[in-house]
Amino acid sequence: MPSLTVTSRAAKIMRDQLARRGTPQACIRLGIRGGGCTGYSYLFEFDDKPPRANDLVVEQDGVRVVVDPKSLFYLDGTEVDFETGIRGHGFKFKNPNTKDACGCGESISF
Amino acid sequence: MTSVSIHDTGALFQIAEPTDQRRAQRRPGRGIGIDLGTTNSLVALAPHGAAPRVLRDSSGSGLVPSVVAYTTDPPLVGRAAQALQAEHPGQVISSVKRLMGRGLSDIHFAHPYHLSEETPGLLRIDIGSPPGSQVGSPPGSSGEAQSRRVTPTEVSAAILRELKLRAEAELGEPCDGAVITVPAYFDEAQRQATRDAGRIAGLQVYRLLAEPTAAALAYGLDRGGEGLFAVYDLGGGTFDISILRLHKGVFQVLATGGDSALGGDDFDRALAAHLLQRSGVGEPSRFQLDAARIAARAAKERLTGETATRVALPGLSELEVTRGEFEALIEPLAQRTLRACRQALKDAGLRAPELDGVVLVGGSTRVPKIRELVAETFKRPPLADIDPDEVVAWGAAIQADILSGSAREGVTLLDVVPLSLGLETMGGIVEKIIPRNATIPIAARQVFTNYAEHQTGMVIHVVQGERELARDCRSLARFDLKGIPRLPPSMARVEVTFQLDADALLTVSARELMTGVRQSVEVKPTYGLSEAEVDRLVMESLDHAGDDYARRNAAEARVELGRVVLALRTAVTEVGHLRELLPEDERARLEAALAAADAAMADPDAVADPLNRARTALEKVSEPFARRRMERALNAGMAGKSLHDIERALADEDALQEKRAGHTPELLDPEEP
Repeated sequence: MPSLTVTSRAAKIMRDQLARRGTPQACIRLGIRGGGCTGYSYLFEFDDKPPRANDLVVEQDGVRVVVDPKSLFYLDGTEVDFETGIRGHGFKFKNPNTKDACGCGESISF
Repeated sequence: MTSVSIHDTGALFQIAEPTDQRRAQRRPGRGIGIDLGTTNSLVALAPHGAAPRVLRDSSGSGLVPSVVAYTTDPPLVGRAAQALQAEHPGQVISSVKRLMGRGLSDIHFAHPYHLSEETPGLLRIDIGSPPGSQVGSPPGSSGEAQSRRVTPTEVSAAILRELKLRAEAELGEPCDGAVITVPAYFDEAQRQATRDAGRIAGLQVYRLLAEPTAAALAYGLDRGGEGLFAVYDLGGGTFDISILRLHKGVFQVLATGGDSALGGDDFDRALAAHLLQRSGVGEPSRFQLDAARIAARAAKERLTGETATRVALPGLSELEVTRGEFEALIEPLAQRTLRACRQALKDAGLRAPELDGVVLVGGSTRVPKIRELVAETFKRPPLADIDPDEVVAWGAAIQADILSGSAREGVTLLDVVPLSLGLETMGGIVEKIIPRNATIPIAARQVFTNYAEHQTGMVIHVVQGERELARDCRSLARFDLKGIPRLPPSMARVEVTFQLDADALLTVSARELMTGVRQSVEVKPTYGLSEAEVDRLVMESLDHAGDDYARRNAAEARVELGRVVLALRTAVTEVGHLRELLPEDERARLEAALAAADAAMADPDAVADPLNRARTALEKVSEPFARRRMERALNAGMAGKSLHDIERALADEDALQEKRAGHTPELLDPEEP
């Protein structure tokens, strides 16, 4: 069974951002889509619609992160974390499936 | 899973707002249709599904002469410019359409201009000194430097700007974009020049539309979805015949023909010569000729409604001309157009009865004899209810209204791509070029390469859908790109462009970058595709996500293994007889690994793992052989070379590797195909 994990630290930031957006019940959608300089890139956005029947729903500390079944093949085992550092603050995807990444890190290949 | 190593680049992400909230900005009802003609141009509106209407000046004329006078700044356009033509022939430009997208070497016809070509393929027209400057300034002064040059594109832009102003005066607000018509035979350079002219005039060019297609749209011939049509276009100075095929809602030009020096002006000349002859004028003066031509033109127009008319030439007694006389005079000219029609039908591989309709375009098709002969040739009465001078502008206006986002006869524009659009690549794998849910309009480009050296053609199979293998997707179109040069595997470069414009017309073009050979196709991916069908296809792809992933991996593994086997077999054939490169025992092991690879590939249902294992084994066994070949090549290459040369060669090799890797879609500005 494919899986995805969200760290507590990441979930807390998501919860804060959802609250600030005025949509505490919305989901956060993580996916893979074509495009970018080496082929695929991450999709990471608020989703105001309820999860679809085939979606994997990961609930962590009251936050729902949803992944469509196709993207899940490329995201299996990924850990979503939040980092703060000299390069700024942001979410980080530790994806064991990536083979190559471009300089910007936003495009990946498998 | 095909992955091996993980590169952790440490990129950090932020949560974005949902993609489907970014909608295309449209301004319904603010699209304009422009017929940019050689002699006259027109602009028409058909806002919010209304019937098209050509915009007229205060005297009631919808025709704007395609004439630009650079006697003032900004230049004058239209009738005002035409009035200055005799006085300032060097600064008043007419018929510039014939120069669009042309180089000096393409101009084989007479024209009154001073043309130059500073950059190859880019003509400039000398229009003399700027207005207000001293005419005949002394030599050595700034007279030479002050001489101005304009490109045909700029002249066309001046005409388009005038038409845009006329439309905006009518709309009472800025227009959003335009559909501009071009002849069906215009090549890429001529089309690009027209597009550029639109942009210079401050217009968003929604689309260039072929003139015969515009005429067919004006009559609503696209509503049937399928059909074969002829468009007979006889203007003042040119004749064009086009055979169109409507297939799945898209017009294709099957054949074109015509005569760039045959039109209604020739009818006038024939009748004028006849009138002078009947008046006993053997050698007419320039004045008599001009007067006769003007009288003949008026008589010709009257003979459309009457069977006989009286003509008075200055200083000569009045004559009566019958329609029969006129018809006899133009018969040979009309026959020339009909020969071109029969040839075009033949080129299209059709017979007249197979056509579903014939459309008349151009003022000269008002002549009853022409209508009669066209009906006879095409075995049906032609469509002629819409003013033949305006019908092209009508079609452009309808198309522009649709592209501006108006709801029209059930046509609704999509904001996003409903299903991904891609190409079938080696192994039946789909390479998605435009992803599902991308905002329309959109264009993307990707470079593909050859698989084998003997490959001199490439099948471009355009598919639609979310599945990983082409056989599970909707097939939209297929064409061959022939004439790819014989190059080692991965060295040929074929650039494929997908362009999806506002009403979801997809243009796929493929171009081999070394030879420039080019081929393209137009399809409507949404034709016959219901919302329910889209949902079903998307759901299906989710249901099959697992199988598809495995099958795609298997197909990729097969292609990769095939590539390695082919490369090794080629290398063994080339240098395998050299013992120092390939000792017997190693050769035997290599042959065994090749045989194992063949065996793995022999199973048509093989999954990725055994294929990948066979490849890894093959790569391992052949590694020493590959290394020796590389060393040998390097030694041979480095003999007598400086370090500098070697470094440069390595840099070249790196650049080449980068080129070979060029295998991902690149998004383009939709305006720039």
